Amino acid sequence: METRPKHKWGMIVDLDRCTGCEACVVACHAENNIATVGEEEAAKGRAKHWMRVERYYEGEFPDVKVKFVPVFCQQCDAAPCEPVCPTYASYHTEEGLNGQVYNRCIGTRYCANACPYTVRFFNFFNPIWEKPFHLQLNPDVSVREVGVMEKCTFCVQRIKAAEIQAQAEKRDLKDGEFQTACAQACPAKALVFGDLNDPESEVSRLTASNRGTKLLEDLGTLPSVTYLQRDSWHDGKKS
Amino acid sequence: MERRDFLKISAVTGATAALDGCGKPDVQLIRFIPEEELTPGVAVWKPSICTMCPAGCGLMVRVMEGDAEVVRNGTLGLMKMGLAKKLEGNPHHPVNRGKLCPRGQAGIQVTYHPDRIKNPLKRAGPRGSGGFQEIGWEEALEELTAKLTQLRSSGQESGLAFMTKPLRGQRRELIERLLRAFGAPPPVVFEPFDEAVLRHANLLSFGRPQLPTFDLARSNYVISFGADFLGAWNSPVAQNLAYGEMRQGRPGQRGKFVMVEPRMSQTGANADEWIPTRPGTEGVLALGLAHVIINEKLRPPDAAGHAGSLIDGWSKGLIEYTPAVVEKQTGVPAATITRIARELAEHEPAVAIVGGAPLAQTNGLASALAVNALNALLGSVAKAGGIIFSPPSTPGKDVTTVVREPRAGFESLHHTLARQKSGEASAFQVLLLYECNPLFATPPGWSVKEALQRIPFIASFGSFVDETSALADLILPDHSPLESWLDDEAESGTPHGVNSLAAPAMRPLHNTRPMPDVLLDVASRLGGSVAAALPFKTFEEMLRGAFEHFLKGKGGKPVMDPDTFWKEVQEQGGLWSDTEISFHGLGGIDHAPVQPGEPGFDGAPEEFPFHFHPFPSASFYDGSTAHLPWLQEMPDPLSTAMWSSWVEINPKTAERLGIQQGDQVEVASQHGKLQAPALISPGIAPDVVAMPAGQGHENFTRYASGRGANPISILAPMIVPETGSLAWAATRVRITRLGEGKLVLFAGGLREQIHEHKHR
Amino acid sequence: MEKSPNQITDDLLRPLLQTSPRFFMAVALLGALVVAAFGAFFYQAYSGIGVSGLRWPVFWGFYITNFVFWIGISHAGTLISAILRLANATWRRPVTRCAEVITVFALSIGALFPVIHLGRPWLAFWLIPYPSERTIWPNFRSPLVWDFFAINTYLIGSVAFLTLPIIPDWATVRDKADGWRKRIYTILALGWRGTPKQWHRLESAMHIMAIAIIPVAVSVHSIVSWDFAMANVPMWHSTIFAPYFVAGAIFSGIAGLIIAMAFLRKFLHLEDYLRPIHFENLGKLLLMMSLLWFYFVFSERLTTWYGNEPSEMAVFWSTQSGAYAPLFWTMVFCNFLLPFPILAIKKLRTITGTVIASLGVVVGMWLERFLIIVPSLARKYLPYSWGSYSPTWVEITITVGTFAGMALLYLLFSKAVPIISIWEFKLGQHKKAEAAPVVEAKPVVAEQG
Ligand SMILES: Nc1nc2c(c(=O)[nH]1)N[C@H]1C(S)=C(S)[C@@H](COP(=O)(O)OP(=O)(O)OC[C@H]3O[C@@H](n4cnc5c(=O)[nH]c(N)nc54)[C@H](O)[C@@H]3O)O[C@H]1N2
Ligand SMILES: Nc1nc2c(c(=O)[nH]1)N[C@H]1C(S)=C(S)[C@@H](COP(=O)(O)OP(=O)(O)OC[C@H]3O[C@@H](n4cnc5c(=O)[nH]c(N)nc54)[C@H](O)[C@@H]3O)O[C@H]1N2
Ligand code: SF4
Ligand code: SF4
Ligand code: SF4
Ligand code: SF4
Ligand code: SF4
Repeated sequence: METRPKHKWGMIVDLDRCTGCEACVVACHAENNIATVGEEEAAKGRAKHWMRVERYYEGEFPDVKVKFVPVFCQQCDAAPCEPVCPTYASYHTEEGLNGQVYNRCIGTRYCANACPYTVRFFNFFNPIWEKPFHLQLNPDVSVREVGVMEKCTFCVQRIKAAEIQAQAEKRDLKDGEFQTACAQACPAKALVFGDLNDPESEVSRLTASNRGTKLLEDLGTLPSVTYLQRDSWHDGKKS
Repeated sequence: MERRDFLKISAVTGATAALDGCGKPDVQLIRFIPEEELTPGVAVWKPSICTMCPAGCGLMVRVMEGDAEVVRNGTLGLMKMGLAKKLEGNPHHPVNRGKLCPRGQAGIQVTYHPDRIKNPLKRAGPRGSGGFQEIGWEEALEELTAKLTQLRSSGQESGLAFMTKPLRGQRRELIERLLRAFGAPPPVVFEPFDEAVLRHANLLSFGRPQLPTFDLARSNYVISFGADFLGAWNSPVAQNLAYGEMRQGRPGQRGKFVMVEPRMSQTGANADEWIPTRPGTEGVLALGLAHVIINEKLRPPDAAGHAGSLIDGWSKGLIEYTPAVVEKQTGVPAATITRIARELAEHEPAVAIVGGAPLAQTNGLASALAVNALNALLGSVAKAGGIIFSPPSTPGKDVTTVVREPRAGFESLHHTLARQKSGEASAFQVLLLYECNPLFATPPGWSVKEALQRIPFIASFGSFVDETSALADLILPDHSPLESWLDDEAESGTPHGVNSLAAPAMRPLHNTRPMPDVLLDVASRLGGSVAAALPFKTFEEMLRGAFEHFLKGKGGKPVMDPDTFWKEVQEQGGLWSDTEISFHGLGGIDHAPVQPGEPGFDGAPEEFPFHFHPFPSASFYDGSTAHLPWLQEMPDPLSTAMWSSWVEINPKTAERLGIQQGDQVEVASQHGKLQAPALISPGIAPDVVAMPAGQGHENFTRYASGRGANPISILAPMIVPETGSLAWAATRVRITRLGEGKLVLFAGGLREQIHEHKHR
Repeated sequence: MEKSPNQITDDLLRPLLQTSPRFFMAVALLGALVVAAFGAFFYQAYSGIGVSGLRWPVFWGFYITNFVFWIGISHAGTLISAILRLANATWRRPVTRCAEVITVFALSIGALFPVIHLGRPWLAFWLIPYPSERTIWPNFRSPLVWDFFAINTYLIGSVAFLTLPIIPDWATVRDKADGWRKRIYTILALGWRGTPKQWHRLESAMHIMAIAIIPVAVSVHSIVSWDFAMANVPMWHSTIFAPYFVAGAIFSGIAGLIIAMAFLRKFLHLEDYLRPIHFENLGKLLLMMSLLWFYFVFSERLTTWYGNEPSEMAVFWSTQSGAYAPLFWTMVFCNFLLPFPILAIKKLRTITGTVIASLGVVVGMWLERFLIIVPSLARKYLPYSWGSYSPTWVEITITVGTFAGMALLYLLFSKAVPIISIWEFKLGQHKKAEAAPVVEAKPVVAEQG
């Protein structure tokens, strides 16, 4: 009965490559019409960063280590944010993404509580784009009104555009033919996006890496994002 | 109410509704005929060049059709036009290979910024009052031409000064030609975090007065002395790309990265080993490493060649730089020095990078030369996996002339200031300002404001009113980069010779004109030698001419049809050699051997116990990008602060001074004081306090004005003697707690964790 | 000292038939607070829920706290009076109605909060499975949708449970009153004549309702608890929550009832009807619930602490010794340390005593709801995303308004309906008269057994 979807989108975050530069953060704002909220609101914890680069300190001066961890919607296969949503605004797409239908959202914020990664952001007020900033808005991404939840969509508009294009040209999607905005920006190539159903894809190859882990894996959310842990120094010539 | 009135009103509202659907327009606008052919809903990609920092990354601009309010010959109206929607890296560009940094991503906000200057402005009211009135272009150009003609007729040609950000390519060519023909001195190039020291050092050590390029992708060992090469230094995108490859690009092989700095930068946060040193002793540490390498016969001293000969006592094996001695000076354990030295020698190719604070010390040049010598000793100069220099991008010309003269920068600024102070006769009469803000980015001690105030006439080409252009008598607003013809010659970041080129990605939104076209216009109005020197109707024409001579093959005859060539260059986003150009036998310039010695600091340690460490912020670079909301709201990579500035303090120091996270503290030097909230950070030495540069603008759009504090405003007027560069890391300060403060952080993390630990 | 039936009727009808200026002052004051609350809500709905203190990551705060609290209070009435009815505790007779009223009003107030806290409250109706042209149904997997059904069922049930036994009293009022009052009560009395057939029907209806309402009440607060327990949030995702919440609900419910009764007794001069014995007995119930509550909290805390699961410990410590410790220990004081001695020592189990204990419990239980919701959200898994929360004037105004609203509704009700069931009270007197004259307390104890 249930047919396996053509694509299963996934991401790699290579923590050994990530330099914490945050190009991904701004790229996501630019691509997805994420409004800035200003100092006052930011101070109240209302800033919306679908992509954030978490920073953790270990140790004390002078033996200090820092870990950068880019965190965004993990597109969980068993997404805790979905069953709790009373209106199906947070739902599971046939390609395994966690969809968010802004028009359906009534703003209970239940999903945001249920999401263990706290990657859901809420529009506490109507977004504002001081004219003419509004001319930069991406027409492929709907803007969200006050009272609705929003979060990383894996740049679904790019996925759909590419799928439709390939369909029109009666061909399969090529690996790397398109990327999410964050992965495309990432100057260290720490972010890799692709189709996990394609065994040849780079994302599939890297997902198999022995450095691969999932964020909060033991919660059983089955994330579509794999984190490659930091590596240690091994010089090819040495040993 | 009268029935007629009712009809009137309903007619108006009806028209309004018809005009623009649901939303009510504030004014009723006429519709202009589109100037270009676009398929609605279909994106086209146009190459461009990022101008947010000097790295010169290549862009691809996503353009889609939309309705915009635009000004066409004086009237405001609605027009269907191609609008830039998103910036991506140009995948073919040799510098950034399709990637961008956060500032590059945010660059698009410059074009759509609500506080862009939309029309030519004439000063109204006293200078600096910020009062301006809109005028027409004709009037503006007439006024500027008049002033210049006046100078010429009174034989005061040398009274014209042109102050600009670092320029490359044809913009620079145009300005220099104009000034030469006019008889004015060369442009005053101003760059807050000036790189003159490193360029000068590279000229002395290797004969290349330019910023280096690092082939990190093939390095096995990288040690950086203060250079934030993954953040905002030199060519960050290129360096991030290479760094990623160094880490995980080679199966079974992963390079090691060691960072040396007193305050952990975003770059340092990625290091396998982070080594804090006493500020200004980085050069000493480099020589300490060299000492061990030579002493243990891991390399012969003469391996360093000319670069080594510039260091005092090199040939004798740097005997006075034993680990023990170096430990005393730098605070780095002798054992660590020895170990790192051996690792460096054993893991070819190993490369040392120097930049940032170490070069902003009074002994900056010596430190740079020391690190250069270390690189030479390691045999990593002009080698794969080492340090290389981008080839000259303009054939025929030698690098030295392609790249800015190393001693330009602050030298020329000081010269200017000196002239202003030395009385009316020699003082400048007319100043042209382009994309630079010395008032914000120079220490008060240089009294740049007073100097500029004394210039009778100032005209600015800036797109925004900032501290400096607020003094202008006339503002001739430039197009935004995305609306302009651009070209660039990357100074570093690639082994390929690069000439980037970009046609406008979109039509202009406002009543602005491209600075180069304005200069050409003025030149022709001036006539005579000046007009003759610049015989171009438009900047496009000049650009095309410049690119034509790439066409000339050996025999000087074009290798392809000029029109196709011109089209193809535009489509690719420029010209670059696809083969890596490698240097051999780098020269060098003789110079008396130097020693890092003791760095000088302003302020007595007893009275001012802390080293003050300003740093270019990941969001605001040198402050020129503080007006972009995306960057204001981007959490700082380490502090996670948004919309603010802060003072980084070591936890122990803070505890000693009774300072809590977020408390308002006063930072005072001998030259001024400022206030900012405290950020308790484990990644900073107890005797150092650090502050991001870029905030604290008095006057720079609604988003940056009156926000945070400007560390440069309390800096001592210390300079690096050899280049006149600002020694921005040579000021000492004291800090005092003032009371509760406000620190806007994105992460609850750090603070909460400390809090929780207390209770376990 | 027994009162004659007529005197009883007069006493209990007095509030309905004559009104003092104090009444109007009280109504004006409470009314003002309620209006302010509505104002605050409309201001929030108009400008965006950002005017509240809610934020990332603490997306639920005062509103959901009030929701759980009021639903809890509502468990006083119906549940208690149903149990006492079934246990046939005669002393309950003067108490049942004041209790059942609390249920109806507390429930109505509590049910407002899921709407008040919505980002787009005007769309609340999407929770209703109505046949929309888009044929979109609510998500029946969502506990919020369960809430919707459970609460409405409970509300309908309690209203019926409350009104059935009022009918005979309304008939009594009809017979006593005249003018416009008579006309109104004639309608309300639904033609009650007190025929044996009617009495029989009423009795059996009451019996069925009493049995039916208990599982409904239990289910309601179990489902409210699952709003939390179903989400995998540290210290929410707990098997103990359903019984823990139900117990807490009854606990706060009884406290609420005692306070209400004390007020009625004083202001409606019902000293002879609401006697110390009623407070004494409810006090005993409260004591039992206090012990039960402590038992639940203790087992929850112990297992968490012993399990030492990092993400849970972050929340645990923030309440035991961290940012939320002051609130936590205040809660422990109010819910246990204060009421336990008062209620355990017979001498202290006076009207004043039980009222003081009850006030403590009401405060304590409100804090408990807050401490279940906020610290967990403020300390969810990834420390980078930790945060804090404090309410704004909007949330505070609305919260205060609901307490005022409760009082106001209660006041108005006691004007419209005999707050003590006249016929049931008389029935009680009658039964006692038949039995051998006994001390008031005895049969109570016996019947309780
Ligand atoms: N400005 C503007 N106007 C448009 C369009 C546009 O893109 N922009 N698109 C046009 C097109 S293509 C279309 S199809 C129409 C769509 O027109 P509409 O369908 O009217 O617009 P929507 O906002 O998609 O949906 C209407 C309302 O349904 C609400 N809704 C969502 N779920 C439910 C539910 O379960 N029950 C109920 N009762 N309501 C629900 C949404 O919140 C929204 O307020 O708009 C047309 N008009
Ligand atoms: N989040 C969210 N997503 C939705 C919806 C929603 O409510 N919320 N609504 C869904 C619905 S009902 C619909 S119909 C779709 C609509 O989604 P789309 O079909 O994408 O509709 P638009 O984005 O309004 O228009 C698509 C493009 O058509 C261009 N266009 C305008 N006129 C012409 C023309 O004459 N010729 C050509 N070639 N192009 C033209 C516009 O500039 C625009 O770029 O969105 C669906 N997606
Ligand atoms: S990460 Fe959070 S929001 Fe994304 S799918 Fe998983 S639970 Fe839902
Ligand atoms: S906030 Fe919106 S998406 Fe989230 S649960 Fe509520 S209705 Fe669903
Ligand atoms: S995938 Fe797209 S939406 Fe998600 S974080 Fe990256 S850019 Fe943002
Ligand atoms: S862009 Fe890439 S390297 Fe930079 S922070 Fe994001 S993931 Fe890390
Ligand atoms: S490094 Fe960043 S800011 Fe500089 S040119 Fe490249 S993209 Fe632009």
